[in-house]
Amino acid sequence: MALYVVLFMIAVLPLAAQEDGPAFFEKSVRPLLAAQCLGCHSATSQPIMGGLRLDSRDLALKGGGRGPAIVPGKPAESLLLQALRHTAGALKMPPGPKMKEADLAVLTQWVQMGAPWGNTVSAASAGSKYWAFVSPLASAPPSVRDKAWVRSPIDAFILAALEAKGITTAKAADKRTLIRRASYDLTGLPPTVAEVQEFLADSSEGAFAKVVDRLLASPRYGERWARHWLDVARYADSNGLDENLVYKNAFRYRDYVIAAFNKDKPFNQFLTEQLAGDLLPAADLPTSVERWTATGFLTLGAKMLAEDDPVKMEMDIVDEQVDTTARAFMGLTVGCARCHDHKFDPISHADYYSMAGIFKSSKTMENFKVVAKWHEYVLAPKEDRDRLAAHEALVEAKRKEIGKIVRSENDLLVSVATKRVGAYLLASARVKHDEEMRLAPVESAPGVIERKAGSFDAGNVPRVLEKKKTNAPKDGAGPYFAEYRVDVAAAGDYQIDIFDEEKGAGTADVWVNSVWVKRGADPVQNRAASPEAGGWSVVVVAPFKQGVNVLRLEHASRFPYFEKLLFANNTVAKVPRTVVQIAAAFGVNPGFLEQMGDYLKRSDGAVASPLYAWEVYGSPLTAWASPAAPLFAGFPASSPEALAAKYEELFLASQEKDLTDPGLKALAALLKEKFGPFRAPGDARRYYTAGVRAQLTALDKEFKDMEAATPEFPKAMGVSEGSKIEDLAIHLRGSHWTLGAKTPRQFLKVIAGDQQTPIPSDRSGRLELAQWMTQKDHPLTSRVIVNRLWRWHFGRGIVPTVDNFGRLGEAPLNQPLLDWLAVRFVEQGWSMKAMHRTLMLSSTYQMSSEFDARSSETDPDNSLLWRMNRRRLEAESIRDGIMSVSGGLNLQSTGGSILSYKDRQYVANTEKGGRVDYERNIRAVYIPVVRSSMYDVFTAFDLPDPTMLNGDRDATVVAPQALFMMNGAVMLRHSKQMAEGLLAKTDLDDPGRVRDAYERALSRPATGREVDQALTYVARMQEAWKGSRASAWQSFCKSLLASNEFIYIN
Amino acid sequence: MNRHWNSYLNQTLTRRELLQVSSAGFGSLALAGMLDASAGPLAVKPPHFPAKAKRVIFLFMHGGPSQVDTFDYKPLLKRDHGKPLPFERPKVVSSETFNLLQSPWAFKQYGQSGAWVSDIFPETAKMVDDMCFIKSMWGSNSRHGGALLELHTGSDTFVRPSMGSWVTYGLGSENSNMPGFITICPSQSHGGANNFGSAFLPAPYAGTSIGSVGIAARDAKIPFITNKETPRPIQRMEIDYSQELNRKQLELTGPDRALEGRIESFELAFRMQTEAPELQDLSGESEATKKLYGLDNPITEDFGRQCLMARRFSEKGVRFVQVSHTYKWDQHERLKRDHEQNAREVDVPIAGLLRDLKSRGLLEDTLVLWGGEFGRTPTAQGSDGRDHNPEAFTMWMAGGGVKAGLSYGATDDYGYYSMIDKVHFHDLHATMLHLLGMDHLKLTYKHAGRNFRLTDVHGHVVKGILA
Repeated sequence: MALYVVLFMIAVLPLAAQEDGPAFFEKSVRPLLAAQCLGCHSATSQPIMGGLRLDSRDLALKGGGRGPAIVPGKPAESLLLQALRHTAGALKMPPGPKMKEADLAVLTQWVQMGAPWGNTVSAASAGSKYWAFVSPLASAPPSVRDKAWVRSPIDAFILAALEAKGITTAKAADKRTLIRRASYDLTGLPPTVAEVQEFLADSSEGAFAKVVDRLLASPRYGERWARHWLDVARYADSNGLDENLVYKNAFRYRDYVIAAFNKDKPFNQFLTEQLAGDLLPAADLPTSVERWTATGFLTLGAKMLAEDDPVKMEMDIVDEQVDTTARAFMGLTVGCARCHDHKFDPISHADYYSMAGIFKSSKTMENFKVVAKWHEYVLAPKEDRDRLAAHEALVEAKRKEIGKIVRSENDLLVSVATKRVGAYLLASARVKHDEEMRLAPVESAPGVIERKAGSFDAGNVPRVLEKKKTNAPKDGAGPYFAEYRVDVAAAGDYQIDIFDEEKGAGTADVWVNSVWVKRGADPVQNRAASPEAGGWSVVVVAPFKQGVNVLRLEHASRFPYFEKLLFANNTVAKVPRTVVQIAAAFGVNPGFLEQMGDYLKRSDGAVASPLYAWEVYGSPLTAWASPAAPLFAGFPASSPEALAAKYEELFLASQEKDLTDPGLKALAALLKEKFGPFRAPGDARRYYTAGVRAQLTALDKEFKDMEAATPEFPKAMGVSEGSKIEDLAIHLRGSHWTLGAKTPRQFLKVIAGDQQTPIPSDRSGRLELAQWMTQKDHPLTSRVIVNRLWRWHFGRGIVPTVDNFGRLGEAPLNQPLLDWLAVRFVEQGWSMKAMHRTLMLSSTYQMSSEFDARSSETDPDNSLLWRMNRRRLEAESIRDGIMSVSGGLNLQSTGGSILSYKDRQYVANTEKGGRVDYERNIRAVYIPVVRSSMYDVFTAFDLPDPTMLNGDRDATVVAPQALFMMNGAVMLRHSKQMAEGLLAKTDLDDPGRVRDAYERALSRPATGREVDQALTYVARMQEAWKGSRASAWQSFCKSLLASNEFIYIN
Repeated sequence: MNRHWNSYLNQTLTRRELLQVSSAGFGSLALAGMLDASAGPLAVKPPHFPAKAKRVIFLFMHGGPSQVDTFDYKPLLKRDHGKPLPFERPKVVSSETFNLLQSPWAFKQYGQSGAWVSDIFPETAKMVDDMCFIKSMWGSNSRHGGALLELHTGSDTFVRPSMGSWVTYGLGSENSNMPGFITICPSQSHGGANNFGSAFLPAPYAGTSIGSVGIAARDAKIPFITNKETPRPIQRMEIDYSQELNRKQLELTGPDRALEGRIESFELAFRMQTEAPELQDLSGESEATKKLYGLDNPITEDFGRQCLMARRFSEKGVRFVQVSHTYKWDQHERLKRDHEQNAREVDVPIAGLLRDLKSRGLLEDTLVLWGGEFGRTPTAQGSDGRDHNPEAFTMWMAGGGVKAGLSYGATDDYGYYSMIDKVHFHDLHATMLHLLGMDHLKLTYKHAGRNFRLTDVHGHVVKGILA
């Protein structure tokens, strides 16, 4: 039965999906009930059969003697349908022939929909009629008294509201104000002096329309309006949540958005491409590239890339996509339903996971490791992509080949070492002993040979070593070395000391006469915290032969600074030897020996250690708590050698197969301990045979060459279909540890209804989601975007909470206007440019921002728009405006990335040098947005946190902004450039220069009084600057650019 | 989100204010009434209830100091060194660790309270009777990024306002010439600016960073605070001219709160430009004070300078000051050498800060908080290291209404899990707000469809540590 219903639903769905519940009931259900049921089951029936009435929803739900007739949403459990289908035992309705299959389908459908009723609307369904869930209808513009003011229906809607309150509109803005407003509005730049003059000179009716068209056609338009959308898309060039990895290819999405605005891509297509561009058919590669790039929208979010719980990581990424998508396009806070039903809007917990399933079934990430990798498209033809994949497979194979050799060689080293445990124990005792010996540097004495660092006889490093430098050889290839030939009169032990060594950077491997005598130390992690030890320190004491000896200092990757060396015939009887020297004396491997020493130090007499007997040699073993202890029962060690031999014997025994003795097992475990003494040493490779080392060196080179030869293609961040398409289970309380019922991938029920065409099981549903959101009568999509456009033009949305159309958002200030605009927008083919024209050619847009005390009394917030809002320029326009006025803005450089980082490289991390160079003269939109390390000008002027969608930027007034105006590099440099430009205009006198500056910066002429005052000011400043005319004019330019009139647009 | 702020600025003047403007021109009287700090977002706001703590200094040890090597003494760890951990490890760990590893340092008891402190904190140990240890801290994320964000913002999933931003939002700032929330030399990694950002709270509540990691404390500056090109008197003349233009424009536009606000913002900036460098200039401090903070020793100089600056900021009414010892405490290896070195850098400055605050009477109403983003495993990683451990760690507080000389909560025998009186970051946040006189349930901000709190849907005030 259940299966039947499901299959059946699929068949009828297309019909129902087009209709809302009450209409469906009236059209299809009520006639059936009337014809087949109500004769016996209504108020007028005599008698009412079975006590059941079907003439109202409440009564149908209540049911008759057998209980409820209908369970909304559950046809299979509804007695009515069971009776109609003759599956309720003896109860078969209606009497006589069985109802037709098609009619049954309608009723099944209806119950599935929740059994909506007709004209009587229940309280619950009234809730679903919240204005934002009802498709917008364009009402006729209201009639107004001041008909002359109405240029566009917009004006009628605005004016009607104002007239109702008795408020009058502000007068029209003057032409200078208007062109400045329009230029900043559409291009983010002030008009040029010539543009202003042209507009002033054009007295034709359509003069302003021409300006608007010119601005819309300018490439500067896309650069400005893309930035608005990028706020919504929480665009950034780095991840910036936990691990700040560079999104090197994010800029392609940004450039895609700029191009989309410039070519007036219809918004429905723009939306679809961003959610599902990869799923649209594309005729050629450029089209594919554009559409892949568009899906970067879904990838750009900030992610926890280092999260030890991969499932949480994935669900958090999905969550970010759900939240951003729903708020960006529908103004709905679906993200609130991650843990429970939405508290205020009719968005259920299941709705959330229905939408989340769509993104879960898409591929955003390559993996969920720490640090996770996001998916990128290779922007190349198929054959190139195949070639790349083949090459990468080869590189991987080579990596595995090397790994295999290394593993087998390491196993060999370990198997040799573990057979000589006794020798290692004895040698480590010697190491411990020698480490405790202190040997003083010689400093100076007769007969000592001193050599300057740069006086080496052979070497590949610079003669002059520098502190904190790599001191790399010219060809850059390691190892880096220097060899000193030293002629001594007599053979014997020689002590080598070094002066002012930069120890924090790591010390050298030391060789004497081709014998390795000392292992270099690794660099210190916290170098800043480890002041370099100045003065002399002892390197090693090693045997020299009579005559010429060669000392070789070698570093793998850098050659740190030291000043000089000395060689002195050692006269101390007992000298400490290095681990390397001791290992050679005992015939063991220095790597394992060092590890054995570390291990013994750590366990330091711990009673649980199998090596306890060795560690406490000479003391009683009564406290020994290791399973190995019984093996030593009755073995009083007569000497360390004897004990070492015993250990060796037992450790050998522990390497037999099929151990049963717990003691031997404990010893075997120690040999295999992951961080034990017999793990492969970090520098294992140096102990391989020369042949193997040569082989590996060759393989390494092959690997590197292959890796370097990897064909490089441009890439773009973007989403594709996932390898596993699946519905998600509801996550109770948002946790993936507590799962509830599976919920099908589908769309919000409050809008799309209960009966939805299922998303095919081989498709994520992104395309279907986009298609659903771009349906003409979708109640939110068109409203949300026109409201955004309105916000960006007027400073406040008609729904002021532009990102939240839910109940906790603010109600529309003028819903008929919003709805008219939404319908108009769709009628105009979702064209953004057409909507700009519609808005800007209205009288409403062209009002002045002049204050009016009376209007202000009634509507102090100007929420009804009795005047234009005066608006502070946004961060980008402040910066670009200053640069544009100074003549220093480069408009030629468009697109591309100026980040000098590689993809996935850490940006602005712990190193001082990791900063991004923001001081460029390109447009602000091309300046990278590095999360957590943003351009300080952006931060100061309210660029929203780029981890979060924000269509409603702040316009704060705070002291740091004034500090920028006073001290910021942009301000200082460009006021200087502006002043130089003014002074270079030899055809102008000083009053002319003041006028020119006013025209350029403020798009208006200076008054005579302003010119006089400016000249007085410049003269005074020239005195203050000790006669510098350039500085005086710079002061003037600074003051002008810092003025309110420059920053605020009337 | 920004309605609150915009509508503040967009408000036009009241009739009374209008009269003042029109009769006296743009009078300073009117200005004072409208635009001084008492009206702005950083205006001092009363707490929900009377409280001892008025401000916070947070000493952040980035990397995760090991509790079992500092303040959480575990004798059994020494006894059972080298043995396997006798209970299960957490479901999610950052990397594999091995058997139990004893602390390389000895512990002793100090003060009247008898608190255990390891040998790496000899100076701080002398102050235990003023400190309140929370031994039972735990968090939910085993990676630096997530854990830092959780510690600073309460969320290891999304960008949320920093605790300093919440505090400043709740209480405002007592010094109108300085930002309310300052972070000295903060980390750029592991969430970076998100750790001191205001997220959806208005921008004035964001932490102002003075320098950042890698920049010596002596070179750390507030953004745009210096100008090497323009002598101060000349700059004053430039501002005066600008302001004259602004006032003239205001006569034409009529009253406009934003334009007026901007005029005042230049005056504030000019004062800030003077006051901030003065507060950062330590040359006026006595030699004894400098020595107290370890400024005489190159090892302690940098952190000491940060601590001394923090005291000076606090003294002048900055609400929340964070001092960072950045990303040094992450000893997956070389525990012995590097933990010792780290402690050496901060031990004297921390003790100095506590002593100095105390002698100035500031400790009473200043809450000092010390800790990292998580602790470390009592089990060994590699040969001489410990892995991240969010399951248990120690933080301590001092001053500001906490019980001095108290050790609160406890971990298991080896210090792996927090066991008794567990305190999550959310609880720490709730408690910090409580100490500052705020109910964490009531300190909310409406954003994206709901009211947000520092503690989200969690958090309990740890009553046991309140004095």
